[in-house]
Amino acid sequence: MKNRLKVLRAERDWSQADLADRLAVSRQTINSIETGKYDPSLPLALRIGKLFDQPVEVIFTLDGE
Amino acid sequence: MSAKSAAKPTPLLAHPLLWTGTWFAAWVGARAVLESTTVPVWARVAAALAPVPLATMALLTTIRGAREMDELERRIQLEALAIAFILALLLIMTLGLMELAITLNRDDWSYRHVWAMLPMFYFGGVVWARKRYS
Repeated sequence: MKNRLKVLRAERDWSQADLADRLAVSRQTINSIETGKYDPSLPLALRIGKLFDQPVEVIFTLDGE
Repeated sequence: MSAKSAAKPTPLLAHPLLWTGTWFAAWVGARAVLESTTVPVWARVAAALAPVPLATMALLTTIRGAREMDELERRIQLEALAIAFILALLLIMTLGLMELAITLNRDDWSYRHVWAMLPMFYFGGVVWARKRYS
């Protein structure tokens, strides 16, 4: 699964730690999601969508889409 | 470590490592008592059971810690435990077969010694899983 998390974070000039604090997860979780090594749970994906005020399917897309 | 635990440090008495450490110390103490032949039976039984309450505290604080982990850390711990479980099964099954094949020296291969490999399997699994997601 691909995602735009790094781009959205950079647009707001947030560090991984900033985003991790806002989502109440560890910085390692943010890093793993950004590098595509870990796909977040649905609740976390929804929280990410809400934080960036964008639909989840805009932030996360399946490979090949 | 979860973001929650980073924001709010775990109190010392709620830390699993404290109880795991005291559990291990109690086990070492129990071994020392049980190796003495002059200790009465009631004291030997008490020494053998002394680690149990400390192990119970280690278990309870570990469960509490697991509930406070974020989802990636839970995944890492799950994969580490899965690796450790399979390796522990492999070790015990292989030792059982080797016991049938040859005579093993009990001073080297009894449960008194083999259990120490189980935490090593778990920590090895943690290192492997953490590396996978970093």
